[in-house]
Amino acid sequence: MTADIFKRLGWFVVFLLVQVVMLRHVHLFGVATPLLYVYFVLQFPRHLPKWGTLLWAFVLGLLVDIFSNTPGVAAASLTLIAALQPYYLGLFVSQDAPEDLRPALKTLGTLKYSYYSVPLVLLYCLVFFSLEQFSFFHIFHWLMCVVGSAVVTLLLIYTFELAKRK
Amino acid sequence: MNNLWEFLQRHSHWFLFGVLEVLSLVLLFQYNSFQNSVWFSSANTVAGTIYQWRSEVASFFTLKQANRDLTLRNYHLERQLAHLRKLYTGLTRKPTSEEEKGMEFLHQYHVIPAKVVANELNRADNLLTIDRGEADGVKPGMGVACGNGIVGVTYLTSKHYTVVIPVLNCHSSRISCAIRGHGYFGVLRWYGEDASHAYVEDIPRHARFKRGDWVETNGFSSIFPEGIAVGRVEQVYNSRDGLSYRLKIRLSTDFGNLRDVVVINDKSIVDRMRVMQAAKDSLKLNVRE
Repeated sequence: MTADIFKRLGWFVVFLLVQVVMLRHVHLFGVATPLLYVYFVLQFPRHLPKWGTLLWAFVLGLLVDIFSNTPGVAAASLTLIAALQPYYLGLFVSQDAPEDLRPALKTLGTLKYSYYSVPLVLLYCLVFFSLEQFSFFHIFHWLMCVVGSAVVTLLLIYTFELAKRK
Repeated sequence: MNNLWEFLQRHSHWFLFGVLEVLSLVLLFQYNSFQNSVWFSSANTVAGTIYQWRSEVASFFTLKQANRDLTLRNYHLERQLAHLRKLYTGLTRKPTSEEEKGMEFLHQYHVIPAKVVANELNRADNLLTIDRGEADGVKPGMGVACGNGIVGVTYLTSKHYTVVIPVLNCHSSRISCAIRGHGYFGVLRWYGEDASHAYVEDIPRHARFKRGDWVETNGFSSIFPEGIAVGRVEQVYNSRDGLSYRLKIRLSTDFGNLRDVVVINDKSIVDRMRVMQAAKDSLKLNVRE
């Protein structure tokens, strides 16, 4: 259990640094920014207590916010994803699945994993950019940000998942 | 009672969820009114240090371009200086003493060189972070410029880092500027999307100028001395109410490649502010009487 926490803490730091040092500065076509740290929440295993998922996500979101001067934006949206994640994961795994099941391409299968990850990432980008731009100043720009970032984030997640499977 | 307790325990994570969301939203909506929120911005020490490492690595790869720009700029300025000096001595005929006076005038501007450690372009309200803070004499509300022109205004300061509101900030950046050589003044605004263009609004209808004219700071604000380049007029539009002109200008500062900046600490500004404040106070008194 302790080893588990340290491992998660390590990944936490990695996701945070990768986001603030590299990915934050990527703006493909001026709209698509990979928000890879949502992958951290997607990977929470089944047995993690619900308050645990919430706190991990909130702190990660808050730190990302501090680095990118968007106070509360990532924290609010990531906490929302973390609240939904256990329930949403429940739809795809049977009751008698192992307790420490970690949602991944390997454990869920391609189709189920897509059903699991795509809506969550899309929802995350939707909430994130809605909060960030708030006034829907340019609705087209907003839409491009949501879709573009979701696609880039999902591409990265699938790259890692495929690499892990081998 | 027992049931209630059990119910609360079973759903405790929803309460936690509510608390965390409220906390985030408070941060989101209160940020701008918290002058002390420096800890929640990239001006805090940890975030600043990490960004500094990153920018030191990144600056290595842009040194060549920066050098070339600076050399060009230097050459340009030296030519200009020589030309002006010739004009000046021609007019005054007393080269030495007058020149000294001119130099004195320059001394009143105290500039603090700084490096940009974090920068962004693609949001509606961009912010940038520089590696100088209160320990170096930076205070909120000072002007920031680079070799090519205006950058923005300092906003939050910690001991060693400062968050700057650049021109590229939809909601918070309003800098007073004027058309060089004509003096008509307006307000510099930015509306997102394109990091190389901004707008100058409220230029009066009777103003005469042409495309390609330079826009510079006018020294009316308490932040910038006059004469810092802002950009060149590219398009002229009518304002929505038809009462003034709206100029689309090409910014002379390349915000996408910003590394070395200076924070301007103008001593005369403090005096000017004091006089302004005194004038305002006396006006108030008059009204009351």
